[in-house]
Amino acid sequence: MIRRFLGRRRYMREHRWTHAHLSEYLDGQLGPDQRERVEAHVGICPHCSRVLATLRRMLEGLHMLGAQPQTGVANGVIERLRDED
Amino acid sequence: MQLGSAEDEDLLVSRAKAGDRGAFEELVRRHADRLHAVVLRFVADREAAEEVTQEAFLRAWRGIGRFQGRSRFFTWLYRIGINEAKRRAAREPAEQTISLDEEPILEAPDWSEAPDTRAQQSDLRRVLESSIRALPVKYRAPVILRDVEGLTTEEAAEVMDLSQAAFKSRLHRARLLLRRALDEHFREGGE
Repeated sequence: MIRRFLGRRRYMREHRWTHAHLSEYLDGQLGPDQRERVEAHVGICPHCSRVLATLRRMLEGLHMLGAQPQTGVANGVIERLRDED
Repeated sequence: MQLGSAEDEDLLVSRAKAGDRGAFEELVRRHADRLHAVVLRFVADREAAEEVTQEAFLRAWRGIGRFQGRSRFFTWLYRIGINEAKRRAAREPAEQTISLDEEPILEAPDWSEAPDTRAQQSDLRRVLESSIRALPVKYRAPVILRDVEGLTTEEAAEVMDLSQAAFKSRLHRARLLLRRALDEHFREGGE
C-alpha cells in the first residue's frame, strides 16, 4: 500500500516535470540526463506521449508557415521614407 | 536567422546612423517582407500590415541614432514592429481568443501523423493560421518569432525584452494553448 502510494507520488512528480519541459526537449535544449528523464516518463505515460507527438506535429506545421512569398513591401516603405525628407 | 552577413549589416547600420538614407533603404530591402509577415499575424489584413510595417521603419529611421548596437538590428526592428502592431491591434475589434485552459481534450482524435494529402496539409495550415490569430497577444509573439519565423530563443527573447527563462516559459504555455486549439479542431471533425 505504502509502496503503491510512493510510486504514484513519484509518477506524478515526473509527470509534472516532463509536461513542463516538453518544449525544451523538442528544441534540443535539455542535457542528456534531462532528455533521458523525459523519455523515461513519456515511455510509460500515454498522456505525455500524445502531447509530445502532437506538439511535434504542430511545430512541423508552424515551420511550414514561415515560407512567405515576397510581397514587395519594401518599395512602399522606401517611398514613405523619401516623402518624409 | 540569416539575412546578409552580420558584419555587412553592421556597416549598413553605422552608415544609416551617420544619416546615409541609402544604407537604411538597403536595410529596408533586407527586412521589410519578413517584418510584414510577422506584423500580418497581429493585425486584420495585408493593408493594415503594410501601414504598420511602414510606420515601424519610419520610427526606426527617426530613432536609429539611439540604436546602441547591443542587439542585432533586426531584433531591435522587430521589437518596434511588434509594439506598433500591438497598438494597432488594440484599436481593432476584438477577435475570439483561445481559452487559457490547458487541460487536454481526452476524446480528441490522434492528429500526430503527418497529413498525407495536399488537402489535409492545407487544412492544417489554415487551422494553424486561424489558431495563431486566436491566441492572446502575449502568447502570439513567442510562437510567431520562434516557431514560424525561426528566430533562436536568444533572438526572440531579445525582441520581446524577456529573459531567456521567461521567454521559454511563455513559449511553452503558448504552444500548449495552440495544441489544445488543434485538439478542439480535430475533435470537431476538422471543419
